[in-house]
Amino acid sequence: MWTWFHRLASPPSFYRLAERLAPWLGLGAVVLLAFGWFYGLVYAPADYQQKDAFRIIYVHVPAAAVSLSLYSAMAIAGVIVVIWRIKLAECVVVSIAPVGASMTAIALVTGMLWGKPMWGAYWVWDARLTSELVLLFLYLGVIGLHEAFDDARAAARACSLLAIVGSINVPIVKFSVEWWNSLHQGSTIFKMGKASISPDMALPLYAALAGTFLFCAYAVLRRIQNELLWRERGTSWAKEHLSAVTVH
Amino acid sequence: MTKRQKRMVAVAGLILGLGVAAALGFTAFRKNMMYFYTPTDLVGHSLPANAKVRVGGLVVTGSVQRGDDLDVAFTLADCEHSVPVRYHGILPDLFREGQGIVATGRIDAQGDFVADEVLAKHDENYMPPELQEALTTADGKHSCAPFKSVMGS
Amino acid sequence: MSGVWAVFAREMRLAGRSKTEWMMPPFFFVIVITLFGLGAEANDPRLADFAPAMLWVAALLSTLLTLERLFRGDLEDGTLEQVCLSRTPLVLATAVKLLAHWVLSGLPLVALSAPLALGLGMRSDAIGVLVLSLALGSPCISLVGGFVAALTVGLPRGGLLLPVLVLPLITPVVVFGAGAVRSVQDGLDPQAPLYFLSAILALCVTLVPWAATAAIRNAFD
Repeated sequence: MWTWFHRLASPPSFYRLAERLAPWLGLGAVVLLAFGWFYGLVYAPADYQQKDAFRIIYVHVPAAAVSLSLYSAMAIAGVIVVIWRIKLAECVVVSIAPVGASMTAIALVTGMLWGKPMWGAYWVWDARLTSELVLLFLYLGVIGLHEAFDDARAAARACSLLAIVGSINVPIVKFSVEWWNSLHQGSTIFKMGKASISPDMALPLYAALAGTFLFCAYAVLRRIQNELLWRERGTSWAKEHLSAVTVH
Repeated sequence: MTKRQKRMVAVAGLILGLGVAAALGFTAFRKNMMYFYTPTDLVGHSLPANAKVRVGGLVVTGSVQRGDDLDVAFTLADCEHSVPVRYHGILPDLFREGQGIVATGRIDAQGDFVADEVLAKHDENYMPPELQEALTTADGKHSCAPFKSVMGS
Repeated sequence: MSGVWAVFAREMRLAGRSKTEWMMPPFFFVIVITLFGLGAEANDPRLADFAPAMLWVAALLSTLLTLERLFRGDLEDGTLEQVCLSRTPLVLATAVKLLAHWVLSGLPLVALSAPLALGLGMRSDAIGVLVLSLALGSPCISLVGGFVAALTVGLPRGGLLLPVLVLPLITPVVVFGAGAVRSVQDGLDPQAPLYFLSAILALCVTLVPWAATAAIRNAFD
C-alpha cells in the first residue's frame, strides 16, 4: 500500500498519470458545461419569483461551491506539506491558489450582478458576502507570498502555513447563512434533506456543478504538471520528456 | 521535564485553549448575532428608542399602501408578530406582497418602523410558476422559516 | 522557565534602548485620528458615528508599523537561530516574544484610545466598550501579525507583503471589535460581538504560537 502511494507521489509517475487523466477531465468538463448551461439557459423554466434572472445560478453556485472546495483541498494539501513534506503536495498547494482565486472572483461578480435586480443592492456587508470576499483576499495572499520567495520549497511551505491558518474562514463562509440571519438566502442543494429546487432546474445545475468541478480539476492538474516540470527541469525524466515534445 | 511530560503539557494547553474558545463562541451564538432582527424581536423586547436596526420579515398580503411620490406603507410579519413599516424611496423589483424583505431604519414614537433602505430577501426555493401556483396555500405563499427570532419570544 | 523570562527581559531591554521605534505606533495612532478630526468639519457630530471604525483601523495600521521588525533584527544578528537551538521550547519563546510585542505596541494604543474617542465626541458608555474591545482585539493583531511576520522574515520585500497578508486574516477581529462599539452607539447589546472577540482571542493564543513556530523553522530550512 505505502510503496504504491510513494510511487504515485513521485514526480515522474504522477506526471504521466496526469497526462493520461487530464484529457478525460477536460472532455467531461466541456460536455457537462455545454449541456448544463445550454439546458439551464434555454430549456429550464423561469423561476416563479425571480423569472429569468435566476439563471445566473448556473454560474454562481458552481463557482462558489468550487471556490470553497478548492480552499479546503489547498489547506489539506498544506497539512500534508507541513507534516510529511511531500513534494507533490507542495505543487498542489501552489497550483490550486490561482484557480481558486479566479473561481472566488467569478462567484463574487456573478453574485453582485444577481444581487442588484433581486435584493436591490450590488453589495451588502452581510456575513456570507464578507467572508467570501475575505476568501478571495486569502487566495491572493497565498499567491503573493508564493511570488515573494526565491526558493520553491520554502515558498510552498510558507503558503501551506498561511493556507492552514486561513482555513478558519471556510466554515464561516459555508455556515454563515445558517448561523446568522443574513440577506443571502440559505443553501438550495448542499443541505440536509431534500433540495428545494424543481427537477427541471436542478438537472442542469448538477451538470454545471459537476462540469465546473471537472474543469477546475483539469486546470489544477495542468498547473501541477507545469510546476513539476519546472521544479524537476534538471532531472533526466523531465529532460527526456521535454526533448520529446520540443520541436527543434 | 522529560520530553513526554512536555508533550502532555502542550496537549493539555491546546485542549484547554480550544475548549475556552468553543465555550465563548457558543455563548456568543446564544446572544443576538445577526444581520437583521425579526418583528417578534421588536415587539417582544423593547429596543431603545432611535436604535438603528435591520428588521427582516414577510410583507403581509393586502397591507401595501402606496402614497404620493414614492411613499409606501406596509406591514412586516414573521411567524408570530407584525410591525407597521413606512418607507420613502425606490423599492427593489422583487418587492411584492408575501415577499421576504430586510429593512434598515428606526422605530419612531408611534411604534412604526421608519425604513431608510429596503432590500428583498428571496428564498432558496426555485420552481417554475405553474408548479408554484399548484402549491400555493390559502394563508400565504412564502415560508416564514428564514426569519427566526434571535432573542426568543 | 528562566529561558522564557530571559526572552521577555531581553525584548524589554531592547525596547528601552530604541525608544523612538516604540514611540512611533502611539504617535502614528494619535496623528491619524487627529487628522481625521481636522479633515472632517469641526465638531461634526457624525464623527462619533465613524469613530469606532476609525479608531480600530488606525490601531491596526499602527501595530503593523512595528511588525516587520519583529523577527528581522533577531534573524540578522543570529539571535533567532540561538533561540531555535536553545533548550527553551521554541513555541514558548515565540509566544513570549509576541506577548512582549503586544505589551510594547498594543497596550499603549488601548490606553490612548479612550482620550482620542472622547475627542471624537463618543459617549462614555461606548468608550468603555471601545477600550474593552481593543484590549481583547489588539493581542489578536499582535499574534496574527507576528505569525505573518515570521512567514515573511527572510524575504527582501517582506515589508510590502506583510500588511496584505495580515489584513484579510484580521478582518473578523475588526468586524466584531468595531461592531461591538457600534452596537452600543445604536443602543443595542454589545455582548455577542464581545464574546466572539474573546473566542477569537482564545483561539489565537492557543494556536498562533504553533503556526508562528513552524514559520520560523521554515525560515531556517
